[in-house]
Amino acid sequence: MSMLQSMKRRSWLLVPASRPDEVEQAASSGADVVVLDFSEFVAPRDKAAARARAAAMIDSLHARGVQVFAQTDSVAMTEDVGACVRAGLSGIVLSRAESAQQVRCLSAMLDTREAASRLPRGAIAIVPSLETARGNRDGYDIACASTRVWGLTPGRADLVMDLRPEPSGELHLMPYLMQRLVIVAGAAGKVPLGAWWRAPDRGLLATPENTYQAGVRGRAIGFRGAMCLLPAQVKALNEAYA
Amino acid sequence: MSKVRRSGLTMPVVTARFIDKAWMRGCDFITLDLEDSVPRHLKAHARSLVREAIPNVSKGGAEAFVRINHDTVEEDLEAVVWPGLRRIKYPKAETAAEIRRLDEIVTRLERDRGMEAGSVEIDASIETALGVTNVGEIASASPRVREFGATTGGYDLSRDLGVEMFVGFDQFVYPRGEAELVARALGLEVRTAPFVANRSGSVSDPDRAYTQARAARLCGLHLGGGGLNPAVVDGHNRGLTPTPEDVRDAQWVLEQYAGIGQSSDTWREIGGRIVDRYEAARARDTLDWAAACAARDREKAEAVARAKAAAGNT
Repeated sequence: MSMLQSMKRRSWLLVPASRPDEVEQAASSGADVVVLDFSEFVAPRDKAAARARAAAMIDSLHARGVQVFAQTDSVAMTEDVGACVRAGLSGIVLSRAESAQQVRCLSAMLDTREAASRLPRGAIAIVPSLETARGNRDGYDIACASTRVWGLTPGRADLVMDLRPEPSGELHLMPYLMQRLVIVAGAAGKVPLGAWWRAPDRGLLATPENTYQAGVRGRAIGFRGAMCLLPAQVKALNEAYA
Repeated sequence: MSKVRRSGLTMPVVTARFIDKAWMRGCDFITLDLEDSVPRHLKAHARSLVREAIPNVSKGGAEAFVRINHDTVEEDLEAVVWPGLRRIKYPKAETAAEIRRLDEIVTRLERDRGMEAGSVEIDASIETALGVTNVGEIASASPRVREFGATTGGYDLSRDLGVEMFVGFDQFVYPRGEAELVARALGLEVRTAPFVANRSGSVSDPDRAYTQARAARLCGLHLGGGGLNPAVVDGHNRGLTPTPEDVRDAQWVLEQYAGIGQSSDTWREIGGRIVDRYEAARARDTLDWAAACAARDREKAEAVARAKAAAGNT
């Protein structure tokens, strides 16, 4: 395992890049990684303003010792990456990653941007978020598409793929998808990120205790850190993935 | 939106008392069986009955399907691809080559017999380890494969794999997951079932039929796997149809979501629930599906009324 892959990244707190107050709270949340989101939680009308503030937010988070990732998607990748590549950025989370081609495209974009910003080539990592059926099916090819790929996450697959609770409390298909992702990541030499959520918990509603349990289960099946949505969930993940 | 196929019965085409009453069972589909329920010495006789059985079982509005034998594909297809047939159920599918062969024969028969090209679907049943291994190639072998899944009941798969049928946990996580992921990635309709423990082994319990179908509906699933006993039909129909409360709840979600509208919020917490685009999509699915079910129920009721009137005139 390379030094990069052994890096401590237990908790990944996702925060809308359009909400400076929430970004400020995230900085002091104790999260190992703050993911500045430009895709999932930013209304279309706020995207341009969020990008305009990206550099300042990244510098501020970085100065406080937080690792910073930016979350984009294949639709707005060019604009979001353009706004975020700089010394304080550790990586990109690619939401709804569906193909190896998307990852190669992102990687090539980062080559160019890194050179322009005089950053070492390969400094910025990629974490594909396998949130669609195609992305999960082709997970191994996606993981192998670039040496930049650091880890894989199921992201919000349960919502994107509309996987709802079964009577057992498991989210339909998720036990299979999570174990598959752990295998795919392991085969490709990448880090699997995720927590084993059960109904009725879901990102925004999960209590710290339930987040901890999801983290413990996630760690038990091989995940090595997880994403969350609220500062109150960070400590639970740090403990579960300690 | 998928076709409304919530309930179905599989019956031996040689048993006249089942076949003659099939149209009154309230099923969305009837599967005429040439396979497991027909003894070997009756196979030829069974084939000779299918052409007339198709309109007979579908006069109450059910779609007519036929389950053929894995090992006598050619003879069976010659006997069953007739007008009114909607789907061939092909047991123990294991390779894409098998499905392509079926497709070729069905294509020829549709042409020769004046049927709409491509109208007969192929239902590739995944019932063996090799089938599970090859789900990707099987599901993509023909555009006639429109619904796909490994198992909703698991009888044959449990026999092939030596998996116990009646246990208190989900023993088919992997085969079901493999097939469902392929179906979703290819954009096919998913046919599967959430895990509901069945320790008794009953296949005729109406309450269990309802519970299982309702769990599938709450999971967002549309398609039923059918059954063997008429007692399960009503439970499957009701369970997979949104209730009036489901519909009201979906309308409420869409009203709340409209309130989020063009704001800077992508979600809001309302009454302890999250309302966002995912919940809105689920609500729209519920409303569309409720409308499709209502239309299907009307269609069936009209067909039954016509069939009864016709019976009264003879």
